[in-house]
Amino acid sequence: MTSDEALMLEFQGGSRAAFEELFARYRKPLYGFFERRLNNPDRAEDLAQETFLAVIRAASRYEPRALVRTYLYGIALKLLAAERRKFLTSSTSGQSAPEPKTDGTPECALWVRQAMEKLDAPEREILMLREYEQLSYSDIAELLRIPVNTVRSRLFRSRLALKSYLESEAKTKPALRASTAQPHPGRRGMQ
Amino acid sequence: MSTNRHPIEQEELMAYLDGELPTDQATEALSHLELCPECQTLVADFRDLSQELMAWEVESPEVGIPSQINAALGERLQKREAAKVSSPRLENRVMTSRWVWVGALAIVCVAVGLKLTLTSRNRNEDRSTAYPSMASIEQYLMLDRNAEIAMARSAAPEAISDDAKILVLGWRGYETAIEGKNGFVCMVERSWMSPFNSAEFWNPKVHVPLCFNPAAARSILPLTIKRTEMVLVGLSKAQMIDSIKAGFDNKELQTPEPGAMCYMMSRAGYLNDALGHYVPHLMFYFPLTDKSSWGADLPDSPVTLNPQFQGGPEPITEFVIPVGKWSDGTAAPVM
Repeated sequence: MTSDEALMLEFQGGSRAAFEELFARYRKPLYGFFERRLNNPDRAEDLAQETFLAVIRAASRYEPRALVRTYLYGIALKLLAAERRKFLTSSTSGQSAPEPKTDGTPECALWVRQAMEKLDAPEREILMLREYEQLSYSDIAELLRIPVNTVRSRLFRSRLALKSYLESEAKTKPALRASTAQPHPGRRGMQ
Repeated sequence: MSTNRHPIEQEELMAYLDGELPTDQATEALSHLELCPECQTLVADFRDLSQELMAWEVESPEVGIPSQINAALGERLQKREAAKVSSPRLENRVMTSRWVWVGALAIVCVAVGLKLTLTSRNRNEDRSTAYPSMASIEQYLMLDRNAEIAMARSAAPEAISDDAKILVLGWRGYETAIEGKNGFVCMVERSWMSPFNSAEFWNPKVHVPLCFNPAAARSILPLTIKRTEMVLVGLSKAQMIDSIKAGFDNKELQTPEPGAMCYMMSRAGYLNDALGHYVPHLMFYFPLTDKSSWGADLPDSPVTLNPQFQGGPEPITEFVIPVGKWSDGTAAPVM
């Protein structure tokens, strides 16, 4: 029942158990954050770990006015940006980024991923932060340093664009769309 | 869609669905939705879209805390302990006078003594290692059946618990000790109703009295019964998780009925080593939902998201609201 923020303060006060609880709560969500954006399980695991290492190193600087969830994804976004810069640098120097791993990925998941890739990057990021990281509009605005109204309008545009794309694809792959429309009891949908 | 026919914009409808509209606008949106088939279609489309996005699931490998993080964690905690003992201000004082030197020495002694005490206490309360596996079953049972009945009843005010059905834990699971009349069921849950990743999952000191209302007795109580039965026959956590998932898949288990809640107002409970008796509170159960829909965990909000089922195999969201009195009517501490 302890909130994330209370755990973070306990950790600042020297509690290992509080950190372990935060690790248990956020390891999978952080892994998912990186995996969906990089399509590389190994790097996703590494970067999720780096996020926690950053939390440990900067624990004394955490202030309870920020939600721990927002704080963690703020770190994750910075690590993601650095990772992308690294690949950009390596690709301009002749190395190419690794191919996304698709082995074992269900076809319906691939379909959603491909649809996501059709969106503009800023709109895609907002949509993912909302749908997968379940952040509020104000959390997203704070993380991306844009007004809340901009978050809302971009989110609306991205959902409409995605809906349109999925509908046009469904005409050619009706069976596939039907399979993605099944309820997923362990996950949150829009309420 | 024109604003002449629709008092709210499509974008606002989306914000309403996301739980991001202020109450007055949300009320307006809801009123309009009830009457407008066109907007109902849009809302259904948005819901479907969100559902479709959930097809992109990511399976994370199950690992403990990696050694690199453990090492960094240990280093930070050690540094912090060291910093607590050596204070520059103290060193300056030591140099000023003999009396201050004596005083400082005394302070150091107290500080070292305190540190030793805290270290010892932390070692005893190291929740990561204190309860690594299940204790013997008798350690979870209450030998005095009447004491367990009384503790179960203490979860809710007498006006509720006096007519409630009372369950007590036996060697094979929960048994009915007293039949009820009002549809409520009171019992004392044990530690295995904690999240599966909780360090106190096997803490035999945990006794959580609660009284389910009729809706929760039908939809939430079966989860407690099932977990308890699996624990008592010796299933592993992985087996229990699989079995619970299968239970939901084959409809043996169900998501919370509308209105499902429980009372947890006993001053006799022991929730875990971190919270102790905690404070009296009510819990409300829902199929998975966003905590923002209740404003949970926001600054000054009295509503908290309970992590009991978060990330677990049960697709349930649980909100906690503290109340001001214990079940016996006495004032409770402020949270």
